[in-house]
Amino acid sequence: MRPTGIFFKTYAAEARVLETRRSRLWLLALGVMLVALPLFSGPWLLGQLTYAFITLIAVYGLFVTVGMAGQINIAQSAFVGVGAFTAAKLSGLGVPFWLVIPAAALVTGAVSVLFALPASRVKGFYLALTTLAAQIMFPIVILALPMSWLGGLVGLPVVSPELFGLSLGTPHGLYWLALVFAAVAMFCAFNLPRSRLGRALRAVHDNDTAAGVMGIPVARIKIEAFFAGALFAGVAGALTAYYLQFVTVSSFTIFASVWYLGMLIVGGINSPLGPILGVAFITFIQEGLHTMSNMLLQSESGGSFDGGAVFALSSIVLALCILIALIFEPRGLAHLWHTIKTNFRLWPFPRN
Amino acid sequence: MINLLQALIDGALVGLVYGLVAISFVVIYRGSKIINLAQGEVLVIGAFLLWTFTEGARNVGIDIPLPIALVLTLIACVIFGAVIERTVFRPLIGQSAFTIFMAGIALLILLRGLAQLIWGAQTRSAPAILPEGAIDLGPFLINTGLLIGAIFTIVLAQALHLFFTRARLGLRLAAVAENHTTALSLGISVRQAIAVSWITATVLAATAAVVLLSGSILSLEVAVIGFKALPIALLGGLESIRGALLAGLIIGIAEALASMYLDPITSGAASGLLPYVVMIGVLFIRPYGLFGWRRIERL
Repeated sequence: MRPTGIFFKTYAAEARVLETRRSRLWLLALGVMLVALPLFSGPWLLGQLTYAFITLIAVYGLFVTVGMAGQINIAQSAFVGVGAFTAAKLSGLGVPFWLVIPAAALVTGAVSVLFALPASRVKGFYLALTTLAAQIMFPIVILALPMSWLGGLVGLPVVSPELFGLSLGTPHGLYWLALVFAAVAMFCAFNLPRSRLGRALRAVHDNDTAAGVMGIPVARIKIEAFFAGALFAGVAGALTAYYLQFVTVSSFTIFASVWYLGMLIVGGINSPLGPILGVAFITFIQEGLHTMSNMLLQSESGGSFDGGAVFALSSIVLALCILIALIFEPRGLAHLWHTIKTNFRLWPFPRN
Repeated sequence: MINLLQALIDGALVGLVYGLVAISFVVIYRGSKIINLAQGEVLVIGAFLLWTFTEGARNVGIDIPLPIALVLTLIACVIFGAVIERTVFRPLIGQSAFTIFMAGIALLILLRGLAQLIWGAQTRSAPAILPEGAIDLGPFLINTGLLIGAIFTIVLAQALHLFFTRARLGLRLAAVAENHTTALSLGISVRQAIAVSWITATVLAATAAVVLLSGSILSLEVAVIGFKALPIALLGGLESIRGALLAGLIIGIAEALASMYLDPITSGAASGLLPYVVMIGVLFIRPYGLFGWRRIERL
């Protein structure tokens, strides 16, 4: 619902993602603020934001696979891991980062196709089970490979990225790097639903039999959905590798996959705005719990609260968020946001 | 040769007990059309409940006799299953497969978080319910606990099979597994079906925990058993109880062979990967498993 007085004279103007000049100005202001943020913020906030951007990229990958194409993927964390290990290995060989990141994305995409192939035979949660297999097999394979390949149990160090002789391994550099890629991911996710592939994904999501009748190659589209989602995961993985400076299998567990899915569901599975809201909301809650427990820890001087309990508590909160979202608001925070916006614009008239 | 046969016997026994966990998957699926990924967590909760009523109670000075502790665990499991049905799955009746699957995943982390919060992450020794030691059978050694567990699994599977194919209530559950909406319009209580299947599956998982963990280590990591049993349930066919048994036998033996012949070459990965490779293979070649209903939606 648009505010009163906004109308368009051309179809092209109406088809834009950002319809009004004001919304474009707001986005520009947000962009300038985010780019300038490192100049006047502390390292803690910068680190948190960098990590949130990386998570956002991975969740956007899920948005393509799960939200748009309707294919459940519980191996996103393993795919991020594949990207991270590829990036670590390549950076160790002296490949520059602007080659490492696309390479990581492509390798991850290739791996994901391997596990998406059963899409030609089965669908629904039977397909989800293959991604589960991918997630479980990932650490077993990495640990079993020779130490000299991917580091095995110890892990792999990552060489910091460099551009024109400038190191991007600093907190500032990593922040900008993650920001750029998060912006690209966001751009893709907002424009994908308007493209030919995006419409095909949506059709497969809504009814794959009907989509097939309409001439959409359903199995290929499903595999492409996994591939596209894994490209995002690969980029996120490469950035994670640069961010952590050291990759081990223990960073890419099934729980991380569930966290990604949880963020997507809480944020809203059908809207490209969903991942942003979801990542922001869940990160906020997680950090809130951390700060709270730290305060408790200091005041009680080593009471019954420890790191494990914090992790347990945040899992419980995330699980409750997912369940509440599924039961009461399946369209997530994005729908809530939309409702609030519409109410605000129509005030004082009722929405319906 | 002796070694080979010994490995085969061990593999078969372990496989049968894993089959018990797989049966708890099957029971939930047949009764409610839910693939519950949290089954491993349910098993861990069952084990922790048993620990609470035996060792835990002893630690605070209350000595509960074993039979009463078992009954208490059973009651707690029933309550637990009923609570899950009431709070999580009843509001989701008739929702899409995706929603229900995600609810299962949310349940997984919820239960894990709760278990960690209540019982802590440290490892403990699981109460030894079954007799330890081994029976000598000619040149072979057979683990008594596993043997009892395997026999128990076979008997239980037969009983459950009869329940699902002969008893009125069991047939009703099968209708619910077919389609929630159709079952409702036929006058079948989907709520009751989901409650019954959840309670049964929780009790089964707790039983499996008793057998598998008797006298060994109990920690949150034990939940991996759930993911190991999933390929078995899939191979057997998600609707078939006796299929889970046979699949457990097949995977158990295959795993034993893999760990004997392939693990030295692959630094221990082959036996770990095998169930999942089988799972992907099953999805490719015969998605309904060995004995499942042939109605997998295909393209």
